[in-house]
Amino acid sequence: MADTSVADASMKIVRDEGREWVPEYGRLLVEPEKCTGCRTCELFCSLRNFGEVNPARARIHVVRSQEDNIITTVPVVCQQCEDPLCMAMCPAGALSRNLETNAVVVDHDKCLGCRTCVQVCPFGAPSVDPRTGKSEKCDLCGGEPVCVKFCSQEALKFVTAEEESMTRKRDMVDKYVEHLRAASSGGTI
Amino acid sequence: MSYLYGGKILRVDLTHGDIKIVPTERYASKYVGGRGTNARMLYETIDGKTDPLGPDNIVAFGSGPLTGTTFPGCSRTDVMCKSPVTNLIGNCSFGGDWSAELKNAGWDHVVLEGRSPHPVYVYIRNDKVEIRDARPYWGLPNYEAQAAIREDLGNPNYKIVSIGPGGENQVTFASVHSNIGNSGSRTGNGAVMGSKNCKAIVVRGTQGIAVADPDAFLEACAEAHMHIRGTDAYAEYHEIGLLADELAYVRCGIECGGDAHETAPSFDDKFNYSDFWKRYGYKRTGCTGCPVHCMEAYNVPGIGATIISCELYPQLGAELRNYDERFWYYVVMQCHKQGLDNTSVATILQWLMTLWELGIIDESITDGYRMEWGNREAIEGTFWNIVNRKGFGNVLAKGMKAAADYMDAKIPLEKRGGKSTYYHAMQVNNNPMYGIVGRFHGQALAYSVGRRSDLISDLDMSEFLIVSAPVYPIWDDATKKAYTEAEQAEALRLGGTPEAADPDGYKGKAALVHDMGMTIGLPDTVGTCKWHTKFLYMYIDAPHYAKALTAGLGRTVEPEELVNASLRMRNLERALECKMGRRRDNDTIPEKEFDKKVSHGYWKGKLGTSREGLERMKSEYYLIRGWDLATGIPYRETLLEYGLDDVAADLASLGILPERPEWLSTQAMKEPSLAHILMDEEEKRQREAAKAPVEKEEKHTSEADKATTA
Repeated sequence: MADTSVADASMKIVRDEGREWVPEYGRLLVEPEKCTGCRTCELFCSLRNFGEVNPARARIHVVRSQEDNIITTVPVVCQQCEDPLCMAMCPAGALSRNLETNAVVVDHDKCLGCRTCVQVCPFGAPSVDPRTGKSEKCDLCGGEPVCVKFCSQEALKFVTAEEESMTRKRDMVDKYVEHLRAASSGGTI
Repeated sequence: MSYLYGGKILRVDLTHGDIKIVPTERYASKYVGGRGTNARMLYETIDGKTDPLGPDNIVAFGSGPLTGTTFPGCSRTDVMCKSPVTNLIGNCSFGGDWSAELKNAGWDHVVLEGRSPHPVYVYIRNDKVEIRDARPYWGLPNYEAQAAIREDLGNPNYKIVSIGPGGENQVTFASVHSNIGNSGSRTGNGAVMGSKNCKAIVVRGTQGIAVADPDAFLEACAEAHMHIRGTDAYAEYHEIGLLADELAYVRCGIECGGDAHETAPSFDDKFNYSDFWKRYGYKRTGCTGCPVHCMEAYNVPGIGATIISCELYPQLGAELRNYDERFWYYVVMQCHKQGLDNTSVATILQWLMTLWELGIIDESITDGYRMEWGNREAIEGTFWNIVNRKGFGNVLAKGMKAAADYMDAKIPLEKRGGKSTYYHAMQVNNNPMYGIVGRFHGQALAYSVGRRSDLISDLDMSEFLIVSAPVYPIWDDATKKAYTEAEQAEALRLGGTPEAADPDGYKGKAALVHDMGMTIGLPDTVGTCKWHTKFLYMYIDAPHYAKALTAGLGRTVEPEELVNASLRMRNLERALECKMGRRRDNDTIPEKEFDKKVSHGYWKGKLGTSREGLERMKSEYYLIRGWDLATGIPYRETLLEYGLDDVAADLASLGILPERPEWLSTQAMKEPSLAHILMDEEEKRQREAAKAPVEKEEKHTSEADKATTA
């Protein structure tokens, strides 16, 4: 692994927790091309986690681009990195790994609201809660992400690492099979 | 802060630049919200004398208690004003993400009043409300104006509803438009917004929506989501939207009004929407919080990108015999951008093409355009003339009646076959009809008694399925049979007679139309999408809404309470329309449509609605609604039953409030399936009364006495 100071620091913290990498941990898989931009994930996330419906507080955000009126929507959510920059850089030590779920979680008592995590995250996944001023990020709902349950497009999935790495491969193979069948039957199916 | 509601109604006085805050509670307990509260605010503001395009009219934008929440289809905005098209209630709604944002900013409704001296837009960021200069955006099409406002504000999260040049120029059938593809059309609400010099309402909200019992609310919403996702209709609409529906309607000749298809060859395979989708569609999309995603996003090289759903397919295509798909797409997109109602544009062009075919009009009327079916130059040129109010387009922009008067003055009577050009106009109360012809009995009734000559206020969806099932593109024979039988059973249950399920029948249809009107009043008041109800066979109904409201509001809401509110709203709307002059005679289809057989597709040579048949259906409908059989005005007793005492007093002071005769049974109001039997009895009674005129006179005297004492 690349020997950068930042990565080093984060790995150290992780290892200090005595954690081992477990492939069976559930992971949130995002497939943006399936997303229609309905933001149902935001609505349920805020209701489940804050007891109110408020997309501005949600821990997942569907970011919309409509340059030239062409719609692209991408759900942005914490990827629960193996070497989380947010955890490494948090000056208050407010971020830690939940060993049950593998989620990186915020201790709001420790959080200073300094926004360092927002700034260092390569995805911009953490947000500052407009009500509390503290950091908010996905904690996988304790192992059963509510967003996944209500994503009718299946643009969000909760899968193991093994499934995750196979999902796209299978999609590709499905398309290939469909193409071959169409070709062999002399037309569309 | 009140649960589920923002708690506040924003009233913006554009004349003086003032804002006023009204508590939502004033209306919510009786009218729930959305269309209900809008109707009440409209009732309090306008009357028959109000100039729709004058400063005394209002435009009310309304959300409901479930708008912006986790309840499926939480995206609807109801828009109401006095319509410059019909001079009656102008009501439309749109989806997207605007009203969810409004709720998050802490507002339930925004009401525009007065008239600004120069173009402005209303800026809302949570509690901060400002009236801002919109002169830099005036003249810009909807998409461009919204993008420019967002860019100038430096935040893409602002949600905007705006008008295009059509609305600015007060084309009577101009629409309001939100984001891409979400139009509130049909009744000229965009023209009224334009008359107020208001370009847009721009909203950003981060306050959230409070929920009394989050766990129970989540469960109720989850149940509704999963219920929708478990229906057959969902499986179809989720994958292909309404493409199959539209194709089926074209195939059985429903999609075109008047003469549009009278002389047309078969439409089959001339315009294949599915192919167009495969070629140019790049994504399915939909509104906030909706699992269905009924809309299609297209990007056509050389023309541009937009989002399309529902009736846009046949209107400017099949109805005009415009089979050039790319050109069809171009006009649809321009309707969005310029802010015109595509249905009105299509129906008006179809009217002109009919007049041209009959030899009634020529180039001297149409600014030189040859109004031949499908003539691209004529369609495009006339469209732009309407938007910019140039030449004949300026006449058409005033609506069908004004255009008919103009043409009648120019064309000698004999050339018009002894009739007004208005005779050929497919309109109800001057509102250009949504294409579907009145040759299908239930639809003819829905168009007549409904609020805007289309199928969004009252509708017979059972008939829709029964007539279109035989030609439904994606069903096999077994499926067609199963769905048809299920819908026939439902029609029999609601209508109380096999005639209700028979496309050739008249009796019992009123109960079906009434039931659908009552049902879609529910989502209209709670602020969700009517498509999730039985309207599109997804069967979300009062118990689902009641369960969510009970958990969200922290008080028990019974389904009956919501049904009652829906009926109250409809009676209030009817009372207002009657106050503005609507009577039984106005509830009709175009004279030309009577007794016309379906001229195209599967039902060719069949059906057709007779005048007597329509009158019979109307009578049954009034009986169920509790409206006067002679005038169509709600009886005093009906208004009192729904707690509309002040409305009754208002109509009484105008001298138009009918009393319910003692002998008239109210059973049909409680049991609509009996309406056909009660109407049989009533017709028998009338026949007997006609035979014995003396007896009838006595009865009238006693009624008059009663009215005086009351």
